[in-house]
Amino acid sequence: MKPRRLPELMEDTQDMPTSPAAIRPWIARGLTVLLIAALSGPGFASADEPLSDADTITERASLAAYYAGADGRSDVRMIISDSQGRQQRRQFTVLRRNVQELGDQQFLVVFSQPSDVRGTVFLVDKHIDRDDDRWLYLPGLDLVKRISAGDKRTSFVGAHYFYEDVSGRAHTEDRHELIDTTDEHYVLRHEPLDAASVEFASYVTWIDRETYLPVKIEYTNAAGQVYRRVEALKVETIDGHPTVTLSRVSDLETGGRTDMQFRFIQYDVGLPESVFTERSLRAPPREWLRRPASGGSAR
Amino acid sequence: MGRGVTKLRRYLLVGLVVPVLAPGQDDPFADETWDDGWGDDAAGIVFTGFVEAGLGTRSSDDALVDQRSTLEELRWRIETEWQAARVKIGFKGDAGYDAVEDELFGEIRDLSANFGLGESTDVRIGRQVQTWGTGDLLFLNDLFPKDFVSFFAGRDDEYLKAPGNAVRLSRFGSAFNVDFVWTPVFEPDVYLDGKRFSFFFPPAGGNVAPEPPLSAIEPSRTLSNGEFALRLFKTVEGREYALYAYHGFFKQPTALSPLLEPTFAPLTAVGASLRRPLGKGLVNLEGSYYHSRDDTDGRDPFVPNSQTRLLAGYEREARPRLTVGLQYYLEWTHDHARLLANSPFPDLEPDEFRHVLTNRLSYRSARDRFTWSLFTFFSPSDRDAYLRPQFTYRHSDEWAFVAGGNLFAGDQPQTFFGQLEDASNVYLRLRRSY
Repeated sequence: MKPRRLPELMEDTQDMPTSPAAIRPWIARGLTVLLIAALSGPGFASADEPLSDADTITERASLAAYYAGADGRSDVRMIISDSQGRQQRRQFTVLRRNVQELGDQQFLVVFSQPSDVRGTVFLVDKHIDRDDDRWLYLPGLDLVKRISAGDKRTSFVGAHYFYEDVSGRAHTEDRHELIDTTDEHYVLRHEPLDAASVEFASYVTWIDRETYLPVKIEYTNAAGQVYRRVEALKVETIDGHPTVTLSRVSDLETGGRTDMQFRFIQYDVGLPESVFTERSLRAPPREWLRRPASGGSAR
Repeated sequence: MGRGVTKLRRYLLVGLVVPVLAPGQDDPFADETWDDGWGDDAAGIVFTGFVEAGLGTRSSDDALVDQRSTLEELRWRIETEWQAARVKIGFKGDAGYDAVEDELFGEIRDLSANFGLGESTDVRIGRQVQTWGTGDLLFLNDLFPKDFVSFFAGRDDEYLKAPGNAVRLSRFGSAFNVDFVWTPVFEPDVYLDGKRFSFFFPPAGGNVAPEPPLSAIEPSRTLSNGEFALRLFKTVEGREYALYAYHGFFKQPTALSPLLEPTFAPLTAVGASLRRPLGKGLVNLEGSYYHSRDDTDGRDPFVPNSQTRLLAGYEREARPRLTVGLQYYLEWTHDHARLLANSPFPDLEPDEFRHVLTNRLSYRSARDRFTWSLFTFFSPSDRDAYLRPQFTYRHSDEWAFVAGGNLFAGDQPQTFFGQLEDASNVYLRLRRSY
């Protein structure tokens, strides 16, 4: 499974296998994770013996990176830089709600900058058992545009991040192998089951042994060269959840990169399901989009 | 391009240069430290918008319209919003100079008060643009005003939707949601009037470009002549269901008064739609029944007959970043035999069944810098077509460039796209956002 590093954004909902035969081991693993969590409490991992099962590690990484709290909100901004140093920017607020732990999730993304996308709203219903439902609201036309399930390895709003970096890659799409365990990291190597569907031949992830947050991913092409890197540059503990607050994706072939920063993060704000409906496209829910008074700084 | 050109160039220079020199908005991303500059939540009123220059020209002459130029304008957009307690006031307006019509213009696209009424009702009062329905550039149950002149002249797609003065009530419930829109004074489409493009006029038996331009007779401003639009909608497991109703007038001046002046016939419409995923794509189905209240049996040749309109569409990403959309659209004119029997121009009346096929091809480059798109309308029954190729280059967050065309072809002048054959044009637009 691919590591997750964008805790506030779209979630990987396709984590769960969908064929009946594959579900039983998944449930078993899920139960194991929950039992260990229940028995050990927070921070259970740090003092324990290192894990040796690649699937268990990636499952924990998913919990840490994508399911923190029952819901959450964050302001996000990106600087998109090309090889000549020309920059573009994006700024938006993300609201996330877990429908089920390790299951479906809902997202509302409200853009505030730049001015040509200001007022654009993106609504996502992420599903485990089928394609996500996605809508885009274009304020100029007052148009609620439905977006078909598309290639997820394409640019997210012009950034070097792919939709899949943001929404997660189904771990059932890759073979996982634990290739090293260092004092700080689990190092895993992943190979796609369907090589034709992706542009990489394999990728390697470094997962923090204490927080289970992926801190680095490197993608290798068919020629054996690392051409793409995603890094967590800053991790803070917010509302008790270790959270990536600054990340970077680098296109090593062209020299372009995108930096993404998260601010005003808050977990368990009590977002109701009704926030994630067509109503919020035309009238973004002000009370939930407002920044928390605390400023969401590290605690 | 005529007399406006020198003037326009002057406006162009002033318009495009001034915003560049003017102090910009706060630029949070200019701050490399990333530690400040998120912008203050309560920073007060923020103004955004753009300045845009557009130039377009006919690809061949129209003997009836002496101007070759179809788009020649400079436009300044200002957008802002203001939150006072629980009411949000939105504003969106354009001002500029249009050399084709040789006039300074100002248009308010949005000036509305938005507020909640209790937990589950949203209200929007004022000038606003509204859209609903499932068609891609085809509108069945969306009877809000459209500006086809802007659309055909190559202005931004946004301008296809014209603003109207209305009250919108939206109620969100667990069983279903309701939108109700009351437009007290009938708001017609911006129709072809002969200023920029000539149009087919049956009594003339061909295209006309009247001077002064066509000004259709609008319904008198009484309360009962207001427009009422209703939508009931609900999304279940990714399937979007909707029912629609409308009471008002045909949006185009397709009726003739006893003095043969174009006017708007009374219309009541009901319809339904469904949009849902199918395979890797999206399918949309929509239908609408147009009840022509002044010609219920189709006998009156000067009032459009009742119609049934049906639409089926499918769209998917065929390859990465390449979207393909197909639609089939049918206009079935009821009591067609009676229409022909009573018409003074039976040869010029629409077919009983008008079939239209559309195709959208859209390709984005990596990171969305370039977009190529081609939208095609083709009617095998009318034997006419309309192609909209467009290329968009987004140079930066500030600068964007668009080049495109509106290409019409048709065998007969009385068909919708056929009448526009001499309106075929190509255009360029340069926009600086702020």
